[in-house]
Amino acid sequence: MSTVQTDDRTTVVPMLECSGITMSFGGIPVLKGITFTLEPGTVTALAGENGAGKSTLMKIASGQYRPDNGQVQVRGQHLPSGSAQAAYSLGVAIVPQELASIPEMMVYENLFIGRELKNGFGILDRGAMIKAAKGYLEEFGLETDPKTPMKALPVGVRQIIEIIKATHRGARVLLLDEPTSAIAEREVARLAGIVRTLRDQGVAILFTTHKMEEIRAMADRVVVLRDGKLVTDTPLGEITDDGIVTAMIGRELDQLFPDRPDAGASTVLEVDNLVIAPGADPISFTVRSGEILGLAGLVGAGRTELIECIYGIRKPLSGTVRVSGSTLKPGAPLSSIARNLAIVPEDRKGAGAVLSMSVLDNATLPRIAAFSKFGILSRRKRQGTIGTVMKLMRLKSNGLDQHLENLSGGNQQKVVFGRWLTGQVDALLLDEPTRGVDVGARSEIYRIITELSSAGMAVVMASSDMPEILSLSHRAFVMRELGVVGELTRAQLDSPTVQDTIFRLASGQNTAPVKDTTS
Amino acid sequence: MNTTIEALPAVQRRDWKEFASAFLIRHIMVVVMLLIVAFFAYRSARFATPDNLTNILIAAAPFALIALGQTLVILTGGIDLSVGSVMAASAMAAAWTAKNAGDNAMLPLVAAVITGLLAGSINGLIVSKFEVPPFITTLGMLTLASGIAYVIGNGAPINGLPASFGSFANTQILGLTLPVILMILAILVLAFVMKRTNYGLRVYAIGGNRLAAEIAGVRSRNILFSVYAISGVLAGLSGLMLASRVITGAPNLGQGYELDAIAAVVIGGASLMGGRGTIWGTAIGLLLIQTINNGLDLLLVPAYWQNVIKGVIIVAAVGVDVWAARRGSR
Repeated sequence: MSTVQTDDRTTVVPMLECSGITMSFGGIPVLKGITFTLEPGTVTALAGENGAGKSTLMKIASGQYRPDNGQVQVRGQHLPSGSAQAAYSLGVAIVPQELASIPEMMVYENLFIGRELKNGFGILDRGAMIKAAKGYLEEFGLETDPKTPMKALPVGVRQIIEIIKATHRGARVLLLDEPTSAIAEREVARLAGIVRTLRDQGVAILFTTHKMEEIRAMADRVVVLRDGKLVTDTPLGEITDDGIVTAMIGRELDQLFPDRPDAGASTVLEVDNLVIAPGADPISFTVRSGEILGLAGLVGAGRTELIECIYGIRKPLSGTVRVSGSTLKPGAPLSSIARNLAIVPEDRKGAGAVLSMSVLDNATLPRIAAFSKFGILSRRKRQGTIGTVMKLMRLKSNGLDQHLENLSGGNQQKVVFGRWLTGQVDALLLDEPTRGVDVGARSEIYRIITELSSAGMAVVMASSDMPEILSLSHRAFVMRELGVVGELTRAQLDSPTVQDTIFRLASGQNTAPVKDTTS
Repeated sequence: MNTTIEALPAVQRRDWKEFASAFLIRHIMVVVMLLIVAFFAYRSARFATPDNLTNILIAAAPFALIALGQTLVILTGGIDLSVGSVMAASAMAAAWTAKNAGDNAMLPLVAAVITGLLAGSINGLIVSKFEVPPFITTLGMLTLASGIAYVIGNGAPINGLPASFGSFANTQILGLTLPVILMILAILVLAFVMKRTNYGLRVYAIGGNRLAAEIAGVRSRNILFSVYAISGVLAGLSGLMLASRVITGAPNLGQGYELDAIAAVVIGGASLMGGRGTIWGTAIGLLLIQTINNGLDLLLVPAYWQNVIKGVIIVAAVGVDVWAARRGSR
């Protein structure tokens, strides 16, 4: 397949053209006739809620799926359906959400895998590859040594290396699936810079997202999918943020965060001198019924470790946790569950859900004893209780027997959340409760969190999403280096300079006068 | 995608063609099985006789028990390579007991079960408590148990056993031998356990995602331990069945059985990564292998060629299953 790179900037032939794409899985339509084109040198955001069909469309455009109807053309050439290899040789590259890099190999090896440079004897020319790799990395402003093992790099850098890998092999259409879902906030800016560089080189870029800030930061055009239909296709300058959100969820989102009810008086969760890692300061606090305690901090500050120590996934070095007066056995999730403690972990796929099992089975697990007699499961009991809870969660699934791997991220999260609500929960631990969850499901999760807290649950919520902390919590801790470095009252959370205060505490530039709880 | 928890609306009813193809794809192994049965029935007059079908079941029984145990282990994402040698060790222990304890049918049974349980428990303990990879652990046990089998018989088979030793394999109830009945019972009980009990759900859960299962309150170590112990006990029973059939304890009995057992589980659609697979699938898989063995015998195919053909059929059958799964999932 010969490439015609020199023509790209002058031709009017669109880089990628999808026409009348339809696709269904097991009889359920996912895409209902999608038509759109990508021009060279443009950045298009493909927005939509989870389950709108974004990922499926990306997979069709990159030749991984064969659509039921419709076709894809790359620079005027028909893309043979269902052939990722053909798409690749036509210059279409996809950087998937779960990166396809090889962690055990070095950066330059990853960059050249499959098209290694060889010397005259057919032996690998590592020197030349390292030199060329260095050039590529510098071109994109990375100072990484090409001989670093891939696994030693943060996800954000790995992702950029994947992008470099795709484009230096001649990709003219770059598809990025949820490029920011796994990277830290400051890495987003760097990604945006790289996307712009590529745009200026004439690459057509399409990325999926459900975050407004990213659409604004990176795209010049936005295409919105809703329930498998293309509902909006417009230059970014001609649509407001509200317009995009309305297009995504199909109704106006009047209020993302519900009102915060007052906290109760009785103490529910007591954490006493918990040491979560060697050398860390002990952490003590209490959470009252109906209170939401926010945990802010940078990645690696110890929020997840604290939550895992409270619940018992991780064994604390010392200290105790009490729920409603009874002490938990350290490092024993079963004892925590028995004392009405519940958790929604950060890593939904790795720690939250068993993707190969059904909604019903996943929701049965934590309270399995309540659904069985003499060890035999009662299907009627399970279906009744779990059906009710999942309806309350407004789960969108094809019945309770649908496997979790076939649900969107937001719906998986609803299952991981809802499975606890089949019984009494006194205290709830949330770790990044809305990560990878779209804006519609997000407001539902906020509604559920506040409803549960107003019903008397004590909630601890770790989050990197600042509005989430500021709007939902009654009180917030800032964590740094495995300890709590500051506490913010509700009044402080309402102050206009609070974001600055939190950032300074989290990064260790503590100049603002804030009450210190670690003394 | 868009439907709520309530049933799909009637509009979504698919036409019969689509339904039929979806049905065939889902049950592709049954289709493969029927095709193979049809082929043998066509080529050999003796194949489709009641006597021969009984033969297939009798040959399948010892092999069924270890394949069922293997299914549980594989569902957790592990593997048990030791079952063949554990069969041998258990058979030798049973034969030794029979030789020394006189004319008693119960004691050899107890000896076989205890030997199997012991070997399985050691596997389970090392895998669950010390987190040694199952492949390595059970590979070690494969060698160890085989060594024990030879030690018990001093390197030779144990012959001249009392007639009661044969009662285990040769007693008939309602026209079926005891091993066949035991096989059917084991399939039914395990199918129920895996589908309808807490234990079954937990096995699937730790195979699908061990960390998530632990967070949801599953004691994964206990479950892991138990599947290896069950696999060991079933291997013990299986070894006794084989030895009892010929009223001899042979230290090389069961050799290579673990590979056929793993093949049966995989043909049955289980994933070696864990979390996926069913007891019914394994039952179909092992009947498929036994049918091929039997059919090729009837067609007088030379033994070495039988292995070649069997190997091809195993890979082809799994290939068809993978193809069907891909078709079915999209």
